[in-house]
Amino acid sequence: MIQTIAFYLFAAMVIASGAFTILARNPVHSVLWLILAFFNAAGLMVIAGAEFIAMLLIIVYVGAIAVLFLFVVMMLDIDFAELRAGFMKNFPLGILIALVLLAELVLGVGAYRAGALHLGTPDGSAAPLLGRSNIESIGALLYGRYLFLFESAGIILLVAMIGAIVLTHRGARAVRGQQNISKQIARKPSEATVNTRPEVGQGVEL
Amino acid sequence: MVDLEQYLPILIFLLIAGGLSAAFVFLPMGVARLTGTHNPSAEKLSEYECGFPAFEDPRSQFDVRFYLIAILFIIFDLEAAFLFPWAVSLDLTGWPGWITMMVFLFELAVGLAYAWKKGALEWE
Amino acid sequence: MIGIEHFVVVSSILFVLGVLGIFLNRKNVIVILMAIELILLSVNINFVAFSAFLGDLTGQIFAMFVLTVAAGEAAIGLAILVIYFRGRGTIAVDSVDRLKG
Repeated sequence: MIQTIAFYLFAAMVIASGAFTILARNPVHSVLWLILAFFNAAGLMVIAGAEFIAMLLIIVYVGAIAVLFLFVVMMLDIDFAELRAGFMKNFPLGILIALVLLAELVLGVGAYRAGALHLGTPDGSAAPLLGRSNIESIGALLYGRYLFLFESAGIILLVAMIGAIVLTHRGARAVRGQQNISKQIARKPSEATVNTRPEVGQGVEL
Repeated sequence: MVDLEQYLPILIFLLIAGGLSAAFVFLPMGVARLTGTHNPSAEKLSEYECGFPAFEDPRSQFDVRFYLIAILFIIFDLEAAFLFPWAVSLDLTGWPGWITMMVFLFELAVGLAYAWKKGALEWE
Repeated sequence: MIGIEHFVVVSSILFVLGVLGIFLNRKNVIVILMAIELILLSVNINFVAFSAFLGDLTGQIFAMFVLTVAAGEAAIGLAILVIYFRGRGTIAVDSVDRLKG
């Protein structure tokens, strides 16, 4: 009973905040609605029993990605009203395509419900909960069977980090913090000045 | 499907926190209205003495360097998130799991060293 | 009782909202990126729901990988957006018509 109420609450909230995300006039409001959508999706995942994924959704999406979006919206000084110029023009086509897509998806769900195909035929290869907590079972599976996929996820993160630095870092400028004090103190007169004896009628080489 | 009753303490905590914060916001407003001290006028709402009108739009532009820090934060946030299941299931995965995580940490340490070398962590 | 169809319907509505967002905000790259995040979120809900109802944890593992890829995508996409804005002074998608910056 309480699960049903909680599910419908979270589902309605996630859909409503998703709709407001794409319809909001101000991108800052869009980001805030997106954060609400993530929170409610985390609630849905708690209902489905994926507690660790729910926690991850809040930590990573709300804590990092949404904040990054907010940073970018604040960082760029953009006339957002001008960007909404084609909004009403695209509205009928967008709604049409969305309705067609939704109809297809709902038809697919209906076909599944009618029992056309059987999912979840147990062939022994499924990875069940180990009778321990959700996070322990995930750890055992992730660092056991999916070890190489995990390493490739690490490579993806490395590439994302290096790519972002290469793209946005403006390179070292001559700034105050780059003074090497010990090198300045260790400097001796013998290596700082050079005594040249230019010959008459020739250029000076230092 | 999980037993949602486990989350009852969190729900109670949320209700108490929300109730308290709402009380702190709305109680003074209500008291001010009821006791008649809430009586705004144009003269009362204008700036005086140390107050001054805002110099500029509050939505000032951020520096791009904040963005780089935010990117590094995302990456290491995810790294920490991957550490949780590793830490609690180390008795199940054993040495292969340990080596896997060390390789993963090494990959991200390479990224950190690169960021450091490029001066992305410098703040002038 | 909540069945898997409920979860799948919610995630498909969220997916359609994401696609609609890309159509409606055709000029604003930031909202387009947010719509892509919505689409990835609906994929994650699907993964987790099927994982829960089939009793197979693999879906949750893949939800974690989707999360990782979403973080990388947001980071790189917004980095491209930032340098594009720095060079051009706008983020309108239809002015991205020159390959050589």
